[in-house]
Amino acid sequence: MRLLLSAALVGLGVLAVTATRAAPSDVIDGPLIRSATSSNDPRDLSGVWFIRLYNRQINSTLGRLPPFTDRGKAEWDKRVKAEKEGSPIADASAYCWPHGVPRVMNSPYPLQIVQTDGETTILHEVAHNIRHIYMDQPHAQNPAPTFMGDSVGHWEADTLVVDTVGLNDRTWVDEVGVIHGKQLHVVERIRKIEDGHALENLIRIEDPEFFKQPWYARITYAWRPDLRISEYVCEENNRNMPENGHTVAK
Amino acid sequence: MSAAVTLARAGKAVIAACLAVAAAASSAQPIYHPPTGQNFEGVWLIQGNHSVVRTLAGKVPPMTRAAATRYAANLAARKAGKPEFDTTRSCKPHGFPRILFAAFPIEILQEPRQVTFIHEVHHMPRMVYLDLTLPKLEDMDPNWMGQSAGHWEGDTLVVESQGFNDLTTLDTAGLPHSEEMRVLERIRKVDLDTLEDVLTVTDPKTYTQAWSTRVTYRRQPGLRLKEYVCTDSNPEAKAATH
Repeated sequence: MRLLLSAALVGLGVLAVTATRAAPSDVIDGPLIRSATSSNDPRDLSGVWFIRLYNRQINSTLGRLPPFTDRGKAEWDKRVKAEKEGSPIADASAYCWPHGVPRVMNSPYPLQIVQTDGETTILHEVAHNIRHIYMDQPHAQNPAPTFMGDSVGHWEADTLVVDTVGLNDRTWVDEVGVIHGKQLHVVERIRKIEDGHALENLIRIEDPEFFKQPWYARITYAWRPDLRISEYVCEENNRNMPENGHTVAK
Repeated sequence: MSAAVTLARAGKAVIAACLAVAAAASSAQPIYHPPTGQNFEGVWLIQGNHSVVRTLAGKVPPMTRAAATRYAANLAARKAGKPEFDTTRSCKPHGFPRILFAAFPIEILQEPRQVTFIHEVHHMPRMVYLDLTLPKLEDMDPNWMGQSAGHWEGDTLVVESQGFNDLTTLDTAGLPHSEEMRVLERIRKVDLDTLEDVLTVTDPKTYTQAWSTRVTYRRQPGLRLKEYVCTDSNPEAKAATH
């Protein structure tokens, strides 16, 4: 039935030669709250987006593991081994803490971008993470390390460039075992692709303590005009509260 | 100079002006600027101490007998230094409307169809949708912040909220409520730098009649929200942070 419907829609699309934008290609669960595609303005990122092809191991553009330093590799091996043995090492999210950057951008929950005067805000459904990106401002001087860091943004043509420093070392880069230290420097290049059906985030990850050279991850997000951000309270019922630094399945 | 040439030059000037406007528009991101009276954007801080909420007349809200017993027990527990009823002690949300009375800054973001309140405390957001019809209470899954639907009446943002769990209290002292609570807010600027929220609480299971209270916030120019992370969710987490 679904295939037939899709075929019919494709047929209609071919007929409607004057239509410049096709129907959303991603799964839509309910009635639309917003227009079927994001606005024509390439700098209007406002609305709800949902990660595509979510991968617990963040999608490195190298197609393989990041260029670890010896320390980075040792930390990776330790975490992979612990998980294999059924006793994963707990990351910040297991404690219901904020997920950090870039980890929060690689989460299988919707996010909403809000653009206001001087600020771009990202409201994440997962664990009510919130990112404040201050536009056209320098970084705070010597910011005290925090989970979400100090983020500033500016436009380069139609790409939103977000620079983040001041991150603490309690969060991970991915959910498997790529970790980072306080020297982590993240630059995200976010732009609309596919005629407003999707958002691309090309993430540059630099931390000389854990990586021999900077590397990139690429994540895309689907436009989801049918979604609102739901309440997500990790603290209410944390079934996997870590014990002695390890997550215990209950 | 002929009239035609003058007209042509004027036309070119108009086109140039249009191009300049278009160029200016494309060099910035699209930002919604609310009308002055409806512009609540920025960071705000509560005025006064609202840990013990009272009605507009300064009275204890009119409670049912069962609610009064519960309130008395909460007050006693607070006095004894063991307010087990207080969910914030284990990093759970304040819930609504208690979070409105917290002594932490609130950032307000405005879009044509959504007003977002970001509470610094527990970095908790509340989305007030201007294009939402609230579901029937019996169809809602109760949660901590409920759901909020708003509309503008002149320069007053009128917000209706419902769908709350009954795990939270209305204030720090311990005013109870049930899952049937509905909250109506009338939010407006009383002057450029003062925001007023008049709340009316309706909860027949807890209160014998609807009652109202008032809270004001002062604009905090240049203030940014800090990262607030509650780390007391378990002893180990606490130890790891300190």
